[in-house]
Amino acid sequence: MDKNIFKRFDILLSLTTAILITIGILAIYSATYGNATSHEFYMKQLYFALFGFALMIGLSFVPPQYMSKASYLMYLVTIGLLIAVLLFGRVIKGNKSWFYIGGFGIQPSELAKFTTILCLANYLSSGGEETRDINKPWEFIKASLIVLIPFALILKQPDTGTSLVFLSFLIPIFFWAGLSPYFLVALISFGVIAFAAFISPTYFIVAIIIIAISLLLFKRNYIISGIIVAVNVAIGFSVPKVFSKLQPYQQKRIMAVFDPSTDPLGSGYNVIQSKVAIGSGGIWGKGFLAGTQTQLKFIPEQWTDFIFCMIGEEFGFIGSIILLTLYIVIIYKLISNAYLTRSRFLSIACVGFASIILFHLVINVGMTIGLMPVIGIPLPLMSYGISSLLSFLIMLGIGMSAYRNRNLYI
Amino acid sequence: MDSTIKKIILYIFVGCIFVVLVTRLVYLQVISVDELSKDSNKNAIKNISETPARGLMFDRNGKVVVDNKPAYTLTITPYQFDKANLNEIANLVNLPPEKLKEDLDKVKGTNRFNPVKIKRGLDFKQVSFLSENKERLKGVDYQVEALRVYPNKFRASHMFGYTKEISEKQLDKQVGDYYKQGDVIGSNGLEESYEEVLRGEKGNKFVSVDVKGREVGAFNDGKSDIPPVNGSDLILSIDADLQEYAEKLLTGKHGGIIAMDPRTGEVLCMVSKPDFDLSIFSGPTDPKDFAKLIMDKEKPLFNRAIQAKYPPGSTWKMMMSLAGLGSGELTPKSTIVCEGSFTYGGRTWEDHGAYGAIMIPTALEKSANVFFYKLGLRLGLENYDKYSSMFNFGKKTGIDLPNETSGLLPTQAYYDKVFGPRGWNQSVLINLGIGQGELLVSPVQLCAYSSAIAMNGLYNQPHLVSKIKNSITGVEENVKYDSHQIDMPKNYFEVVQRGMYLVVNGTGTAKNVKNDTYTIVGKTGTAQNSGNNHSWFVGYAPYEDPKIAICVLGENAGWGNAFGAPIAAAIMVRYLSGNSADIFNESAGSGITD
Repeated sequence: MDKNIFKRFDILLSLTTAILITIGILAIYSATYGNATSHEFYMKQLYFALFGFALMIGLSFVPPQYMSKASYLMYLVTIGLLIAVLLFGRVIKGNKSWFYIGGFGIQPSELAKFTTILCLANYLSSGGEETRDINKPWEFIKASLIVLIPFALILKQPDTGTSLVFLSFLIPIFFWAGLSPYFLVALISFGVIAFAAFISPTYFIVAIIIIAISLLLFKRNYIISGIIVAVNVAIGFSVPKVFSKLQPYQQKRIMAVFDPSTDPLGSGYNVIQSKVAIGSGGIWGKGFLAGTQTQLKFIPEQWTDFIFCMIGEEFGFIGSIILLTLYIVIIYKLISNAYLTRSRFLSIACVGFASIILFHLVINVGMTIGLMPVIGIPLPLMSYGISSLLSFLIMLGIGMSAYRNRNLYI
Repeated sequence: MDSTIKKIILYIFVGCIFVVLVTRLVYLQVISVDELSKDSNKNAIKNISETPARGLMFDRNGKVVVDNKPAYTLTITPYQFDKANLNEIANLVNLPPEKLKEDLDKVKGTNRFNPVKIKRGLDFKQVSFLSENKERLKGVDYQVEALRVYPNKFRASHMFGYTKEISEKQLDKQVGDYYKQGDVIGSNGLEESYEEVLRGEKGNKFVSVDVKGREVGAFNDGKSDIPPVNGSDLILSIDADLQEYAEKLLTGKHGGIIAMDPRTGEVLCMVSKPDFDLSIFSGPTDPKDFAKLIMDKEKPLFNRAIQAKYPPGSTWKMMMSLAGLGSGELTPKSTIVCEGSFTYGGRTWEDHGAYGAIMIPTALEKSANVFFYKLGLRLGLENYDKYSSMFNFGKKTGIDLPNETSGLLPTQAYYDKVFGPRGWNQSVLINLGIGQGELLVSPVQLCAYSSAIAMNGLYNQPHLVSKIKNSITGVEENVKYDSHQIDMPKNYFEVVQRGMYLVVNGTGTAKNVKNDTYTIVGKTGTAQNSGNNHSWFVGYAPYEDPKIAICVLGENAGWGNAFGAPIAAAIMVRYLSGNSADIFNESAGSGITD
């Protein structure tokens, strides 16, 4: 091979990914160590990691035209699968989100993560920035629908955590695709209002005033500003009503974020235990397979959503920081590739992937360290789970292709 | 916006998030490390689930019919347990060591401080052995749990149902996470249908333990503990004495009885024989005993009172009369000529007598088949189905027990499906007219039907639980059931009631059970079967002011008047006399056919 390979192949991204997967397999090994029913999980993860890694490298060589062409079809297939899983899926822990094929569980919602981003990227990049001007209401609605359909289907399973993932990349992608700051503020305001209204009416009133003033400062159409404020007020009033309609276990989960001791048996239990596990790791950690909390299996199924505890406890602060840094490298690299590539399709896709990885990181790590609600979403590339692992590796393969195609116009 | 600026904004955003996460990690792992390490060493939380007492059941007079008694359950806490003791423990409780090992393997990966229930119903010797060897056998303990006891002279096995250890399948399927391995769950009868009422809410005690698994005190000073809430009690509508009496009458036979108060729908007694002894489920259930019950050819687990479905035979003739009146094919004064046999399409259907031109009451009294062959043809399938479904035939009555059958009310679509659109004709209505053919009904459906006739069309949903009593507040809450008026004039019912009166008090097929104290009315029926025919009796008493309606089914018991009528009459008289009379006379069958 010629030395050009370093210019064409995204070494940094592939290397970081390889390191993260390796740490992930070690973490699963430790978390399932001495566990009769799940000690072979790390082997399964290893096989699929090898396969997924090869898939990632392979994808980085696929010309982006093919990807963009295939994106609508892949999206439709995933939507079909999401509908099928609602009809025929197996119920695991109250969620209807799994298919079982030959002993392997497949979660269509994990696949939907990348197919939705690709579809949205393809939609926004087809016909150039002018025809798909996201500031036009009709274009905005059509683009939003691409995301809201899988969001609604997954919410129906009901898997609230995974459905929220689909909202996480909407704003960053619209921002990247050229949504004006005015609409950006409006979009963000909806989330802010929902949160403020949940905390207390006072917060809600303060937030609504701040939003109204900032919208006025843009000096845009007052009618539109008025409508946005009105929608915000409506959201504010409906949040407490929606909350009261949630399942009691969901309410408990949300309340336990603010005070884990209110629910020491349920989600609060996991948070208390994971904080103790991570905190007791100290600066250097207790050493591989030596974490008492991890090895005593205080946290049920730690190898899925609570895998970060094992890192925090056995590798300490240093290990945690290294791990977080690796993720940040991946996210920065994806944003940088988005900036470099001349393909608008790949550029938007990369921003979507960066957002989705960041969201998973913040929610997952945030939940284990008691900053975020216990929402069952995996830590990318680390948590045990084949669908999720493959889905993220596919995203990274496409991210690498953006680097390879940084001089290519399409 | 320039894309360079956009990139920088995104970089800054990601950087801020990184800083927040790192700050929190610094706080946890650098600043709070001492405190959290102490927690990790000494403050791991052991969560001990406390099982509430299951709700009791009382009969309509306040007598306890399902009670609890304390029993001891062996538990093993995996973290403290030394596997070297596995064989000794298995020996002590007579379990194969492999089974014990399997039970412990199943909970791996879950909280190892949580005691696993291994074996229920320890005897006194086993419990005292455990107490004496507590120090040596670490992690082995016992818990006091409530077991069911039935302080009755009757069984009511199908009515009460039983509790059993939750299966892995049920654990996987549950919504939420209430049940854990080793928990019991209502698995049949009222135990199943009122599971959420009876079970109560589990409590939780949180105990701090050190790394060695030693308890070092209550977590959060016990403030996080949740005390268990005992299950609510069920006040049943059954009469314990009547239940005992009814079971006695059916002992050694195959069949079902269900009696209810027509004014309310309250079930007074419900029997299905053969049955089984519930107490084999209350202790540690021997899988062999359970397998024996399932394999038993007599099907003792099958609740004949609500699950058996057979053609109703002549008990159907009231339904036909009402459908005839309702559809306008008959008036209370109309007559149909009964020649002793009936020919249609070249085929002849026989009857046991020729009665001439008769009206409905006489047709019922004599159980005149030709009358109903002709009426069936006149009605047509559409009217037949319309009026029958008004009495919930082909539907569940909604009795508060699991697995009730809907029976079968054949429709045109049904015949088209089974025989093909050209494979059948109107002649099916001839058999359907006398309650034979494809039509299938259950005892509870017939009982509710007889009750609705007694009440001039007031249809009450049959039910066993009348009130739910909160075990803490003692407040009794009425349970609401459906009660609706069937849209038909009162005089139609009076015509039919008159016919049922004559069956017992005239020269009808059940005159052998005529009673001088209480006016019993009813109708016998025989369901044709490949073996011996099944026998039916439906009825109510007293005629003037109905207080009890009943249906008796005898499988392969021959004619309705020989089997069903004497039993039904005895139960009704027993109830009306305040549980003092016993008029049952098995040889009362007169040999008259219905």
